[in-house]
Amino acid sequence: MPDTVVKDIEQYTEINYLTSETAEFERTDGGFLSLTTKDGRKYPRVDLYRAFPFTKPREYISVREPESKEIGVKAKEIGVIRCLDDFPENIAKLIEEQLDRRYFSPMIIKINNIKEEFGYYYWDVLTDVGTCRFTVRGGHNIVPIGEDSGRILIIDVDGNRFEIKDYASLDKKSVKKLESVI
Amino acid sequence: MKLLFELPDAEKRIVSERLGNEQILYCTPADLNEKGKKSDGWVVVTRRKILFLEEGRIKKEFDITEGRGYASVSMVGNGILEAVFNGEPQIIARYTMRHVPRYAYIARALNVLSEGREPHIVSGEDENVCPKCGRRLPRGSKVCPKCLDRMSALKKLGQVVKPYWSLIGIALLLFWLVTALSLITPYLYRVFIDDVLMAERRDIKLILFFVGSIALVQSLNTLVTVLRGRVMIKVGSNIAAELRSMVYTKIQELSLSYIQKRKTGDLMNRINSDTNRIKEFIQHQTTTGINQIITLIGICIVLFVTNWKLALLVILPTPFVTVSIRLIWKKIHAMYHRCWKTWDKANSLLQDILSGIRVVKSFGQEEKEILRFKKASRKYADVSGNAEKVFNTVFPIYGFFMGIGQFFVLYYGSQLVLGEKMKLGQLVQFTQYVSMLYGPLSFMSFLPRMFADAMNAIGRVFEIIDEEPEIADTGHVVHHRIKGRVEFRNVTFGYQSHEPVLENINLEVSPGEMIGLVGHSGAGKSTLINLIMRLYDVDDGQILIDGIDIRDIPLQDLRSQIGVVLQETFLFSGTILDNIRYSKPDATMDEIIMAAKIANAHDFIVKFPDGYDTKVGENGYNLSGGERQRIAIARAILHNPRILILDEATASLDTESEQLIQEALARLVKDRTTFAIAHRLSTLKNANRLMVIDKGKKAELGTHDELLKKKGIYYGLVMAQRQMFKVRGAKAGS
Repeated sequence: MPDTVVKDIEQYTEINYLTSETAEFERTDGGFLSLTTKDGRKYPRVDLYRAFPFTKPREYISVREPESKEIGVKAKEIGVIRCLDDFPENIAKLIEEQLDRRYFSPMIIKINNIKEEFGYYYWDVLTDVGTCRFTVRGGHNIVPIGEDSGRILIIDVDGNRFEIKDYASLDKKSVKKLESVI
Repeated sequence: MKLLFELPDAEKRIVSERLGNEQILYCTPADLNEKGKKSDGWVVVTRRKILFLEEGRIKKEFDITEGRGYASVSMVGNGILEAVFNGEPQIIARYTMRHVPRYAYIARALNVLSEGREPHIVSGEDENVCPKCGRRLPRGSKVCPKCLDRMSALKKLGQVVKPYWSLIGIALLLFWLVTALSLITPYLYRVFIDDVLMAERRDIKLILFFVGSIALVQSLNTLVTVLRGRVMIKVGSNIAAELRSMVYTKIQELSLSYIQKRKTGDLMNRINSDTNRIKEFIQHQTTTGINQIITLIGICIVLFVTNWKLALLVILPTPFVTVSIRLIWKKIHAMYHRCWKTWDKANSLLQDILSGIRVVKSFGQEEKEILRFKKASRKYADVSGNAEKVFNTVFPIYGFFMGIGQFFVLYYGSQLVLGEKMKLGQLVQFTQYVSMLYGPLSFMSFLPRMFADAMNAIGRVFEIIDEEPEIADTGHVVHHRIKGRVEFRNVTFGYQSHEPVLENINLEVSPGEMIGLVGHSGAGKSTLINLIMRLYDVDDGQILIDGIDIRDIPLQDLRSQIGVVLQETFLFSGTILDNIRYSKPDATMDEIIMAAKIANAHDFIVKFPDGYDTKVGENGYNLSGGERQRIAIARAILHNPRILILDEATASLDTESEQLIQEALARLVKDRTTFAIAHRLSTLKNANRLMVIDKGKKAELGTHDELLKKKGIYYGLVMAQRQMFKVRGAKAGS
């Protein structure tokens, strides 16, 4: 294989891991994050994506240029944060704040009621962000995460997400209501 | 979709204090605060300003003209409205997914306002909740199952049922007969016991008479029941067939956008299960219902006339019986539902493994898959075993309790008989009637549910039948023989109107010209082609063919002059011959062979044992991708279209067959206006001009050489493909 081609492939597949030594994150006035890399490049705004939102929420975070509306411009991945612990606590907190904005799924603490009518389930729950009432279509939108972990993801008709951390640890009444739908 | 909400009074006061009586153009709720807590927020847009209110206070205020690039960004489980103010990206508001489409419109309007123009943005999308009761509407439906007008649904059904009134009349008559006959039998028993047996009349003729009449009544009853069943089946299946074809006809007439908004499964359900449910409703529920009600009333009258005290004894526990039946059924139903779900799971696992068996075997994962299936199968066995156990325990016991009323009757009845207040025959008759009572009763307890189900099915079916096609011929259609000049003028379109897929496309194509469409996947190439075929209507702008708006050309005329060769060739079940002449059923054999020859298909077809009569499609002869493609090209050639569309026609082919097909295509393209999409850019070497589409906009337009010189997107794509080729070549060489 010619060397130039090999080099190209490597360039495509190499992962640029960002650590506190190679990357400096800062909160912008508008509430986003900016990034200055060791090679002196400055990104006024970066977007963060979790590679494994369920299994490794604090690890493997893709740091990317924001999607552009301009013709011919393709947003690229700048690097990957292997683990939030590679950063000092205050920076890790900044990053988590951004991630929490992108991945929004309230945790269900208590189920007040689930009512079925005409193929829709009307839920009334208490979550960590307050009382939520939402509608779930059919039974397919209640998804267990992992095997036997007790963790459950619920997606409502609009695409909102709600999570139950471990359904066995909910109070008895809530479990009974949940079991009537799964 | 609602974009101008009414503010609560407190907020209204604050806004008018701040803005005076400036007109509010848009006002929408923003239900999350910055920290992601639920909050009571509002976004108010006037011609000049954006206000963001939270918990009754103005939190943020922006001058619209200072902002650029307004966008509603949909994230995971929530969205934000953002824009760049003085070079600084800012979050204007945050909201749950429910409002994301709303804010997409708002963002569009803000972008128009920031350029100092007047926005004319209204949403054509429907809210997906019932305006009357706030319940979610079933997917792809505008009929709320709760607020459905039951009478009008029944009336519509009545229209379809009309031709069968005489048959239904006969059936009803038969119903009366069946009921009457089944009520007569116990009466005959009574007379037989009291007047013959108890009176000790040893008259063999009389005994034979009674036995004979009971047998006669029974056989008559059987005969009439059979007749009734046959009549009702005829009525039911005829009506169902009629409804099915009505729905199917309508679906064929409706535009693709209507059909694609709905899942194929949903539509299949409407055609099959909903009409079936209506059939069931007509065939069994209405008629059985009438039958049962008549029986019920009849029995009650007879019981009370015979002995009202005893009758009361029987009737009193019935409310308890009906309620308990419903409760038990609910439980059993839930159990069986769980059963069905585990079965479904095991089943889909099995399907998964079997269809992926090559992968399983090639990675040597048989052991793991065996274990996985064993586990699922075990679980189903447990769950279903449990359900069966409960079912088989509960129902016999239940049956016993149902019969408890009879014991009372027997006890009091026997005392009455011994006290000579009642005759033995009367008691026998009485117990027989009582045993006939519980059937109708348990049926009646399910009636409301069945009725509601059927009404919903009727509602869903008629919703489609009553739908007006979105894409229809306009009043002033022009029959037109296409010459091939195509023009796009400011074409804007989105499958959901808040997300435009194509924006402001302008293009002029001369007759006979071939245009190559290039761009990343998802850029909007296929959408452009869908618009030419008028599978969808543009949201904004015009598409003209020979100067005529395509909406003014009759659909039939338009599509019959456009030919399509797609990447995934769809061959219908049937012979090769059927497939080639699909678009021109009256083609001669000479024409068909000619078309096949042009398509480079004739040679391989005649070598098949069955030649042109070879069966293809499901359960048919297995053709290779290249062979199918060439048959599709032959089909297009025979069709002789004025405008030709090639959508990735050569994407999935090996090099040799690609060459044959390239050849065939080159012959097909000649003198026809052609639009070709191809990822492999070499396929487009015959194109007169290339249009590069990026993010829904026309990015570049020109000949191959012009675009290469420009060193833009097209140049990048060509270079990337050469690189790929090099890598492949290098790998093959090493």
